[in-house]
Amino acid sequence: MPRLRELQLGFAAALLDGDGDGFDRHIRAAGLSSARRLQVYRHNTVLSLTGALAAVYPVVRRLVGEEFFQYAAAQYIKRHPSRSGDLHEFGEHFPLFLQSFPPTAGLIYLPDVARLEWAYHQVFHAASQRTLDLAALAQVPAERQGELRFRLHPAARLLASAFPILRIWQVNQDDFGGDSTVDLAEGGVKLLIVRRENLDIEFETLADGEFSLLRALAGNGDFATACEQALATQPTLDLPACFHRHVLRGALVDFFLPNA
Amino acid sequence: MTAKPALSRLGPGSIPARAGIGLRAEHYDAFLETRPPVGWLEVHSENYFGAGGKPLHYLERIRTHYPLSLHGVGLSIGSTDPLDRRHLGKLKELIRRFEPTLVSEHLSWGSVGGRYFNDLLPLPYTEEALYHMVARVAQVQDRLGRPLLIENPSSYLQYVESTIPEWEFLTELAERTGCGVLLDVNNIYVSARNHGFDADAYLRAIPRHVVREIHLAGFTVNRFEDGEILIDSHNRQVWPAVWALYRRAVQRFGQIPTLIEWDTDLPELAVLVDEARRADAILEERHAQAA
Repeated sequence: MPRLRELQLGFAAALLDGDGDGFDRHIRAAGLSSARRLQVYRHNTVLSLTGALAAVYPVVRRLVGEEFFQYAAAQYIKRHPSRSGDLHEFGEHFPLFLQSFPPTAGLIYLPDVARLEWAYHQVFHAASQRTLDLAALAQVPAERQGELRFRLHPAARLLASAFPILRIWQVNQDDFGGDSTVDLAEGGVKLLIVRRENLDIEFETLADGEFSLLRALAGNGDFATACEQALATQPTLDLPACFHRHVLRGALVDFFLPNA
Repeated sequence: MTAKPALSRLGPGSIPARAGIGLRAEHYDAFLETRPPVGWLEVHSENYFGAGGKPLHYLERIRTHYPLSLHGVGLSIGSTDPLDRRHLGKLKELIRRFEPTLVSEHLSWGSVGGRYFNDLLPLPYTEEALYHMVARVAQVQDRLGRPLLIENPSSYLQYVESTIPEWEFLTELAERTGCGVLLDVNNIYVSARNHGFDADAYLRAIPRHVVREIHLAGFTVNRFEDGEILIDSHNRQVWPAVWALYRRAVQRFGQIPTLIEWDTDLPELAVLVDEARRADAILEERHAQAA
């Protein structure tokens, strides 16, 4: 008699790899064929995983259509099987998968739209965090301010794209009214996706220098270097105003001074 | 994570012997606005595994008004892979934060070799599988520091290797680990029809003292030229034949907290509240007899 583990591995192969040959002999013959019985489980699994992808990527789904989305999801499930009992963790590699998926090669903006949706999904479920302690920040001696490190809000993500992905996202929302044409020639966008204290998720389009500042700080760069990079990217940037705005609006939530 | 006040001090504690309903995101606002008179709520544990945001925010607010049950669908307790410690850790944290009265999992597996199917797959009912499940349930109960309820699944195939009827397997599991049984009456009906066993014999085989919760839901019939199969689809009202079986279950097990489950093609909250009312009426009939 096969051990439990062998049965489970055999079931898994029959389910995911379509390698059902031979597994039939473990299924009691009664009425419906073994193939149909296995098909119920295969269908349930694909339905559940496709549903999870559709919940995270509604705009991608709308852009490619329901039928194609199901086809792409089925391929994705085979190539990147779920690794968690928590379905919210499923779908992380979908943007990269779309990038190398020949049938969608013509939709050059699609992987970045998917990145935006994954970032939104992460922001939706991320931890909350109190706003930065301004009084404590004011007490940092001027000569040490350049060494400061800041932390981006756990429910914030930075994303840059060569395509107008925010506009694409917006015109593909169910409640969007108005002209839904998007001109790819309008160019790229640099975005901050952030969950506010009322739990609403907002997109902010950032100027080049602003994006550079936040990205450097989010990457644990020190304040002085981050400012240099921001100004090198955009010499006209009003750095103090830009910094204060992101502290006040809660994108930067914590700071520390490395030990001298 | 910031410290939260103990919810038992803010909200209701034990699950009453009444009907409850499954809480789904689509009904968050309706719950807070209308506070329907249902006895308790159940959620899928994994839907609250995130670190923050709307799901936890809403559950916290709604929890202050209703007793809560956590129902897991992803632990893959019957798998021969090692238990996912991260998953268990998140479940434990959720229990600490929301103080549920009941915590349940399934008599099934959902992953092997690190791949997850996010479905409730059937176990072969063998001595080896029983031994394995006993060890796993004990391990989870130890880790969580509390008893689990284990639910009978709907199944669409039977293994040639199975030597123990499901009702015996479930009873043995409960007797050996001290876990309770979450008896899904719809699943009994679905599996009985799919495999040709007697649903009432199933009920009679389960000892009275192990059943702590009952589930009810709607199924779908898929017809093929070589026969039909019932699918536990959770997308419609409870069927009349399942209500009838439920009435007989309540006769046998007494007033047991009963959950109305509905997961896809979700209707207005009022439809679920009506289903809960029907279950309550059956529980009350039993109460009147006992009195």
